[in-house]
Amino acid sequence: MKTARSRFISVLLLALSLSGARADWRLGGETGAVYESNISNSDRTSDVRDDWAWRSNVRLSNGYQVLRDLRLTLGADLRGQVWGRFGAFNEIGAGLSAHLRYRFGLGRRAPWIALEERIGYDGFQETGRSNWDESLTLRGGIVISDRLALEAGYIFKNLAASDDFFDEQSHSANARLIVDLTSSLQIALGYSYRDGDVLSYATPSRPDIFALASERRPVTTFGSNPLYTAYRLKAQTHAVSISASYALTKYISAQVAYRYSTTSHDPLHYENHSVEARIAFAY
Amino acid sequence: MNWLRIFFLLALVSLRHDLRAGSLAVTVKDAKGAPVSDAVVFARGKGSESQTAHSKIVIDQRDKQFIPYVTALQVGTSVFFANTDNIRHHVYSFSPAKKFELPLYSGIPAKPILFDHVGFVTLGCNIHDWMIAYVAVLPTPYFQLTGDAGRTLLKNLPAGEYTVNVWHPLLKGAPEKYSQQVTLAANGTPELVFALDLKPDFRTKRAPGLSTGDYR
Repeated sequence: MKTARSRFISVLLLALSLSGARADWRLGGETGAVYESNISNSDRTSDVRDDWAWRSNVRLSNGYQVLRDLRLTLGADLRGQVWGRFGAFNEIGAGLSAHLRYRFGLGRRAPWIALEERIGYDGFQETGRSNWDESLTLRGGIVISDRLALEAGYIFKNLAASDDFFDEQSHSANARLIVDLTSSLQIALGYSYRDGDVLSYATPSRPDIFALASERRPVTTFGSNPLYTAYRLKAQTHAVSISASYALTKYISAQVAYRYSTTSHDPLHYENHSVEARIAFAY
Repeated sequence: MNWLRIFFLLALVSLRHDLRAGSLAVTVKDAKGAPVSDAVVFARGKGSESQTAHSKIVIDQRDKQFIPYVTALQVGTSVFFANTDNIRHHVYSFSPAKKFELPLYSGIPAKPILFDHVGFVTLGCNIHDWMIAYVAVLPTPYFQLTGDAGRTLLKNLPAGEYTVNVWHPLLKGAPEKYSQQVTLAANGTPELVFALDLKPDFRTKRAPGLSTGDYR
């Protein structure tokens, strides 16, 4: 894994450094606030902790039109988030990505398929969470009409944390319907299914969850009074979302999103509401 | 001496032509009465089909946009699709009046594109989806685009009867739907007003949206 990761990063850095000629650079990113109603992934009301964070990311990418219908985009990104109450989740990270998109024809109405590989490192304030983060995304989309587009995808995600307890692997599939309500306002309705590792936190110790969990550990993520126990287990998550984007200028959009998710591994079952408001820019 | 005669003769013919010419003042509004810019106003004289043009013009690509957004030209005109960005563009059109593709290039292509059929052409860039522009290929040399105030002036039309049409990229229906007859007297400047029924503008925005398939 480490050798493959090093090779991937080396090739990307080399390609980015050699790409001055006819460079089609693009700088983009988002910054905004996010609220999570159940950051502790808890099923009992008394255990549930909510919090909000300021989250930002910035990307610099360079596009190469390899063939008429095939585009390769290499990018580097920086991201960070600062939480209001639970600083253990404060994070700063950086990554490199390669994105290959094939269009079945000319123009924005042509169906497309894209494969993206991203490798990054995320440093957390709770250092055991700091991890190498790898994700492989396969997506496709079609434009149904001037106003409607449909996208679907699969994501494999692997986090290799410095403390193995925080390792995480997941597979997810998602679909989104994107609607242009006006020339400036776009909304998207989404559904996603995820199968993979989760950490659920509870206090006091929960033998019923422990029976499901592969590992457990007392953590100070939510303070030491009371001291939470983290349970690592596999669970399935269904989520629905609605998001909106309004173009403010040629380069800037205001975006809001709401996501409701329900995660279960019988008899454990918890829900989360997530609300996000952000400014997105691309130049 | 002969050259002097020819010069005076040409000047006289030109003067006579100007004396017999008139103008058309046209205002274009939408259904709510707001001024419509980038509308193509064109006039065709009765019984006198104009000859095909053989001129060359330039449509530029600058800051990842076509400039201008709308171009009106007479059939037979050739267009150089200049690319003054320091990246490559890929211009295409699916429109029946002119289907073509200029794959990935920089600078100015050696050969222009000849617009040899009357009609309305939509241009796109295969790399930058928000880049869009239109070309109105017209059967007449008498045309103008409206400005921000929705107004334009067609000058130096020979006196006579004309059919005046208006076209716009967002127009509902054919331009024949918006047709007015006018008789133009020498030195006259009749005023025409058109009210267009326009479709909503769903141009792809350059600002980031929600699709992950866009340019990134």
